[in-house]
Amino acid sequence: MPGLPSSVDLDECIARLYKKELLAESVIEAICAKTKELLMRESNVVHVKAPVTVVGDIHGQFYDLIEIFRIGGFCPDTNYLFLGDYVDRGMFSVETISLLVCLKLRYPNRLHLIRGNHESRGVTQSYGFYTECSRKYGNANVWHHFTDMFDYLTLSVVIDDRIFCVHGGLSPSIHSIDQIKIIDRFREIPHEGPMADLVWSDPDPERDEFSLSPRGAGYTFGSQVVKKFLEVNKMEHILRAHQLCQEGYQTLFDNQLSTVWSAPNYCYRCGNMASVLEVGENGERVFNVFEAAPENDQVKDMQMGQDKMGEQGQLPDYFL
Amino acid sequence: MEPPPPPPPSATGAVSLPRLPILTSDELSKKAFGPLQKRINSGADVSFFLTSRAYKELMVWIMQLNHSLIPRLSPDTARPVCFPLEPGRRGWSEPVRRLREMLGGCEELILEAPPEENKNRRFGNGACRVWHGKLGERIQGWIDGLGLGVNGGVKEELRGYFMGAWGDKGRLDYGTGHELSFLAFLGGLWKVGFFGGGEEKEGEREREVVIGVVEIRYLEVVRKLITTYTLEPAGSHGVWGLDDHSFVPYIFGSAQFTKPILGRTEATPVEGSCPGAPKPASAVDKQTVEDYRGSNMYFGAIGFIYDVKRGPFWEHSPMLFDISGIKDGWGKINKGMVKMYRAEVLGKFPVVQHFGFGGLWAWEVDPEMVGERSVHLQSQPVQNQAQSLGQGGGEGGTKAPWARGAMGGMSGGQVSMPRPMDGGVMAPTGLPGRGQVPTPRGGIPNTGPMEQTSFPRGGGMHDRVGGNQFSVTKAPWAKD
Repeated sequence: MPGLPSSVDLDECIARLYKKELLAESVIEAICAKTKELLMRESNVVHVKAPVTVVGDIHGQFYDLIEIFRIGGFCPDTNYLFLGDYVDRGMFSVETISLLVCLKLRYPNRLHLIRGNHESRGVTQSYGFYTECSRKYGNANVWHHFTDMFDYLTLSVVIDDRIFCVHGGLSPSIHSIDQIKIIDRFREIPHEGPMADLVWSDPDPERDEFSLSPRGAGYTFGSQVVKKFLEVNKMEHILRAHQLCQEGYQTLFDNQLSTVWSAPNYCYRCGNMASVLEVGENGERVFNVFEAAPENDQVKDMQMGQDKMGEQGQLPDYFL
Repeated sequence: MEPPPPPPPSATGAVSLPRLPILTSDELSKKAFGPLQKRINSGADVSFFLTSRAYKELMVWIMQLNHSLIPRLSPDTARPVCFPLEPGRRGWSEPVRRLREMLGGCEELILEAPPEENKNRRFGNGACRVWHGKLGERIQGWIDGLGLGVNGGVKEELRGYFMGAWGDKGRLDYGTGHELSFLAFLGGLWKVGFFGGGEEKEGEREREVVIGVVEIRYLEVVRKLITTYTLEPAGSHGVWGLDDHSFVPYIFGSAQFTKPILGRTEATPVEGSCPGAPKPASAVDKQTVEDYRGSNMYFGAIGFIYDVKRGPFWEHSPMLFDISGIKDGWGKINKGMVKMYRAEVLGKFPVVQHFGFGGLWAWEVDPEMVGERSVHLQSQPVQNQAQSLGQGGGEGGTKAPWARGAMGGMSGGQVSMPRPMDGGVMAPTGLPGRGQVPTPRGGIPNTGPMEQTSFPRGGGMHDRVGGNQFSVTKAPWAKD
């Protein structure tokens, strides 16, 4: 790829990452810089064509990401749209986001990455990605490279002018999709305002209108909001992620909105299914449901995990 | 309170363990009691909380319970006396017996609210809301049945804490904030003299509260609710947190195995183990966990993790795995757990924002506590003290770390909730006039350092992160 240092071979990086090997810090730095350049040129609303396979939250569940490729096809044979929340909570967020970014650089038109509420400095400091980067690399540089790059991720995708895709949901300050295009998105996710709402909001089947979200950011939105948004924007469907679903997906509001969730047996314990949504050339939508990858259950060499955890014990400071 | 007995000789020096004061009948009649008040609406309010009487007394209560579980050296026997859980025990003191009956009632309600078959539910089972409704119908009768001899306002506060102890019925989740509410309920009962106020019997009453009420009944019922209604481990830090739902069993369980003490005037050990206790390293061994989960709270909590989680332990629970490598014994673990509880539970906005205040747990400055503030602020995120992180305090899905508590409230609906100031948009952080915190006058000696585990250490990051992302100024395109 032009612009990458000659020492960085993307195909080799991808091959290593498929084996769950970490890339060097300098390679991450170069790749994130290049990805920023690429993402900078994308609109806040990226238009893509079907067929495309849409993926919800991953949260560092690397084995399950690989399972998705096994089920849905590897890049670039299958087009992918990821709806965000690649990092935090899981054990392998670094490997997950490294792989996705390399694939994005290698196949920029075959794979699209939307920003989720966890693609943020503030949230990743709380929910694990910061800690994981520090442990696996011994310092926070890699976390800085990734989170700086997150500021450039797009906010939404429209498939074939009929399916509106976003991580969280709708915003009371966005009526027309054109209003998304004028957001200055190259920044940390703010606490409030339309950009925050797009990544934080949730549908509420019990309501008609907008209501404050119990999450403390974004809103919940009801059936009338969805109906009106689709009418105004001449869309057929809203597709989003952001919420755990027992069956891997949930369809609401007379099939006008779907949630797709792609982290099976979330946090090693929820027992939930996961899914990806395959959008066909004629707009047909098929949920492909799957369960946790077999690697999750294998008794892995503990040493393998411990090596990555750095040399000394990684006790929380409270116990030192 | 009764005067403390003369301290026995002790190698580590005698201390007077603070105990939660029992309210006099005068205080009970003169103080204002009533519906719990939600007070924590911003990070500044958390700072105030950490200087409050409520915070100080909650810590006193937890340390009092913790201390009661430490094994005792006995002049009569060669071996120290330990305090294992006693699942088959029948003889409990009358107050504990009544509470266990009440918790048994909670458990029976699960039978009256069987999980629903609903394919279109998102995750948590909606029948849990039926369970909450039934609890709401019974609770007044149960509180009345305790025979407390206190006025309606006090009962209302106790009811609020009890109702807040079972997870959020809207979000169908459960976390350490709910656990805290249960501790506040029990501490409230202590304060009104429910457990008696007479002579000290080496922590016997406190011990019964923990092993008879907290572990064998409350946590049992909680675990049953979690599995029956698949309560979401939302707000969980995943593999990067201690546990998806619970905290106190790790505190009390490590106390059960710590180095024995002579008696109640000896300080809580900060290292060492009880002879015969399993090694911390065995806390990750499945067979040892099975062997001890019935008698020790720490192993009981890990046993529940083994019940519900799949995959290698070091992978899904790396923090507990790392802690099991501690060489300085259960005392060291106990000390670390208490420190961590202060910082990660009581010091975190998403967890404590739902806590209600009143006459039992007072939202008022404790002069001794003003030094706590500066210590705790160091443990707040760099950007904004309001941006605090929970250990899973009952937040639905990921909680915005800066989330303001303008909505939600305790599940029992006992908290009066201020509405957002402009009918929908959340207020900027750092409201003037709210949570004005007195200037610290220097730290008080008994609070250890509150280092942040998961936040940037050293320089560099402050500059890079300190931009506009947590600005209180609204973006130009923001809604009104």
